[in-house]
Amino acid sequence: MSGKSNSTTATKSGITMTTTPDDHLIAWLAALAIAIHIIESVLPSPLPGVKPGLANVITIAVFILYGWRTAVWVSMLRVLVGSILIGTFLSPTFMLSFSGAVASLIVLWLASRLPGEGLGPIGLCLLAAMAHMFGQFYIAYLLFIPHDGLFKLLPLLMTAAVVFGIISGIIVRSMLRHLDKRKNDTTTIINPRNEQEK
Amino acid sequence: MTRADYCAVLFAALLLPYLYISQWTGDEAGVAASIMNGGQTTKVSLAHDHTLEIDGALGTSIIKIEEGKIRFTASPCLGKQCIHSGWLQHAGEFAACLPNRISVAVLGEEPRFDSINF
Repeated sequence: MSGKSNSTTATKSGITMTTTPDDHLIAWLAALAIAIHIIESVLPSPLPGVKPGLANVITIAVFILYGWRTAVWVSMLRVLVGSILIGTFLSPTFMLSFSGAVASLIVLWLASRLPGEGLGPIGLCLLAAMAHMFGQFYIAYLLFIPHDGLFKLLPLLMTAAVVFGIISGIIVRSMLRHLDKRKNDTTTIINPRNEQEK
Repeated sequence: MTRADYCAVLFAALLLPYLYISQWTGDEAGVAASIMNGGQTTKVSLAHDHTLEIDGALGTSIIKIEEGKIRFTASPCLGKQCIHSGWLQHAGEFAACLPNRISVAVLGEEPRFDSINF
């Protein structure tokens, strides 16, 4: 990551802040996710609520590499900082984004409890995307459009979630393979924390 | 892909058709209709077949109720938009003859909001 991966102490005007390697890791990954989130927010959408959700690629990759707790940090920071930068903080857009993120984190937590080899990137992305859609759909129904007609949109929205979920799953899989190859080639340390999670 | 992955894909593949079938078919049939004539609203049941003649601003519009459906069959307007709206049967469907100031809206079991805007 940044080269200085050990504990760093930054002193500025009397406030001392100690950061751990964890903090640096989360900050870097969240920054990556936020950048994707913002780039994606410029793309036009055919239907409200339909978005490729490529920022979730980072969430899932983080979940696989570093565990659920780090994924929660990265995902929540992305939703929060992303919305502040775009200017949708606390608006309906933010609520939907937030509830979707919470729903997919819940599914990821359940997935991390699965026995055996569990879910791979494609299954994780698919289920997370569907949970994201259900979460934001339910909040939209509850808070913004309490009309049964909204459910007519659900099949279309879910189809989009399934398609984009599988696509981001494929992206995560090739990303992890790439990282794995680099690890074998140059012994780059991918996980500075190793056995702390899982 | 692991076995759990295949299960997830299978789950999605089963859920989608279920959603399409459950949400896009079997609309709630209307049980009644409200007919607005000028500012005055009357509610009629769709259970019995009959024909209504309603005197509006221009003349008499004829509204027919048959097998739980309702439609305009005649109206003294120029465009005949109301007649072209055809049979209305699902809750929320709507036809209006603006020149004659008569409109028909099918009501479902429970009235709800159309939408809420901020």
